[in-house]
Amino acid sequence: MEERKLSEKESLDLITQMINSTKRNMEVGSGNVFLYWGYFTVFLSIVISILIMCTQSYIWSWGWMAMFMVGPVISYKQRGHEPAVVTYTDKTISKVWQVFGCMFGLTFVLIAIFCSFYERSFNFILMLPLSLLYCGLGVSINGIILREKWMIYSPVVAFVLVIYMLMALMEHGSVTVLWNLYFGLSFIVIMIIPGHILNNKAKKQCLKN
Amino acid sequence: MFKELDPLLHSQLRLAVMSILLSVEEAEFVYIKEKTNATAGNLSVQLDKLSEAGYIGIEKGFAGKKPRTVCRITDKGRLAMEEYVNTLRQYINI
Repeated sequence: MEERKLSEKESLDLITQMINSTKRNMEVGSGNVFLYWGYFTVFLSIVISILIMCTQSYIWSWGWMAMFMVGPVISYKQRGHEPAVVTYTDKTISKVWQVFGCMFGLTFVLIAIFCSFYERSFNFILMLPLSLLYCGLGVSINGIILREKWMIYSPVVAFVLVIYMLMALMEHGSVTVLWNLYFGLSFIVIMIIPGHILNNKAKKQCLKN
Repeated sequence: MFKELDPLLHSQLRLAVMSILLSVEEAEFVYIKEKTNATAGNLSVQLDKLSEAGYIGIEKGFAGKKPRTVCRITDKGRLAMEEYVNTLRQYINI
């Protein structure tokens, strides 16, 4: 492109052409972050459930703390591969997850504070339903932004489980080992399937182009 | 009486750059170069002009070991583009 003066019509055409050129198609691997979280959570839930069942000790529930490692590991993996362009959609999605990430961290801290005041011991079981709620809401909002129906509606599975867990806590105050499995398996529906759908769509778009 | 078109925007490459930055949050130098088919030298000069006018912000950093230049449109730039398009509309009676 040269440095030259334009006619008025050429100017408007150029603006339209450039704006259209930035309409970004999905990149291959768009769903990878969902897949990393999804598969890791499913794996962790199975491991924790097996360990609890074998040892009859809920101490293994502390294994969920490994979830805090996923974010930094993904960030480290993506270091040096920053995208050439960040659209408003990318920014919005990133902010949505930042908000839910903060809520996740804040919930952890607040539960720790309240437990130390009232119970003198730490019981983070409330983290399971609340984390599931945050993840479900995050995925649903992502689905609305990306116009992906499965992502919008699949978190209903998570919400049903959240309500069940909270009701069970209120009614009986007890937790079964199956909660860990429910939590992990719901990630197949809300993270793994959407992740694969996004990747397949991106592949199809690439083949078309 | 028609208003004069902003001379800084009324040039092919600078207008192309501003149009790209108007529709994204931020874009790398390489991306803009690819979209505009400009040479690195020319693009660099035009980006500096836009930056000096306060129309865009330029952030130089590194992605791993590679240098990375990221550009963003500023509020002043967004306003200038809005005025530019409104003036254009008057010229061609849209």
